[in-house]
Amino acid sequence: MLIVVTGGSGSGKSEYAESLVLRLAKGPKLYIATMYPFDEESHQRIARHRRMRKGKGFDTLELYTGLKNADISGYDTALLECMSNLCANEMYQENGAGARSAEEILDGVRQIYGQCRHLIIVTNEIFSDGIDYDPETVRYQRCLGEINRRLAKMADLVVEVVYSIPLIHKGSLPEISTAGLTEAFALPGHKGE
Amino acid sequence: MILVTGGCFQGKKDYACETFHIARKDAVDGADCPLEAIFDVKLLYHFHEYIRRLMQAKEELDLDRLQRENPDIVLVTNELGYGVVPVDQFDRAYREKTGRVCCEIAKRADEVHRVVCGIGTVIRHD
Repeated sequence: MLIVVTGGSGSGKSEYAESLVLRLAKGPKLYIATMYPFDEESHQRIARHRRMRKGKGFDTLELYTGLKNADISGYDTALLECMSNLCANEMYQENGAGARSAEEILDGVRQIYGQCRHLIIVTNEIFSDGIDYDPETVRYQRCLGEINRRLAKMADLVVEVVYSIPLIHKGSLPEISTAGLTEAFALPGHKGE
Repeated sequence: MILVTGGCFQGKKDYACETFHIARKDAVDGADCPLEAIFDVKLLYHFHEYIRRLMQAKEELDLDRLQRENPDIVLVTNELGYGVVPVDQFDRAYREKTGRVCCEIAKRADEVHRVVCGIGTVIRHD
């Protein structure tokens, strides 16, 4: 199953994505970490995520660019966190894919999804705060927006997390009962392709 | 506790007052009320601004106390975090903090409503 988990910053989407992995995985679990530790704050964020994952039995693969070359064979379920960092890395790092970032990343997703049973991808909503960004930032938003749209088309399940509450936009997951009555109140979304 | 969230200018406060039968005069503005007010008002809106003020005052919201002393409060907040990472360090910390506090409130709340175009959807209730 290919699952996309999206949401705003600080919405609790990572915690939710991890809980999906724990409920779905029937074998080894891999965490694909894409945040490049470039300053103190990113170190702190990485440390926070490590604390959250601790004891949940994940192996960690640090991967900043070149997803399509990753070997994740032997893993049952992989969690990629997060697409917004991978996208920025590919666009702006020296050895990144530059203008071909979206294509390369989507190729990479197909490559690694071919090697595992479940792939859960965490991405980010960075599209609706009404601020006029500089052209470079807009280029980044456009690229991530394209990746998100194309991922959602490929995905079996698309979930947006709002302050820890999962809202299902596409697909369903009967074997996973989401918290409380969430499913009954899930926003109407595209029901499959 | 009830949490009402959504983007700015979506009619969250009107929706909350109508839905929970609260008079407008009982709705208190989190942007300028005394910080202690949260423990006895019926409805506090601009909750995200309230969190910003708490951060500026270097204080934390005691959610256990809030739940104990004002279990029926309706909190109305802007849904932050749907933009590109802010350049300013305080802005980043503020948006992160608002998210974490609202996640915690959503978990404790009896109901969570999300308002889009004035229309509320219950996204969680006990």
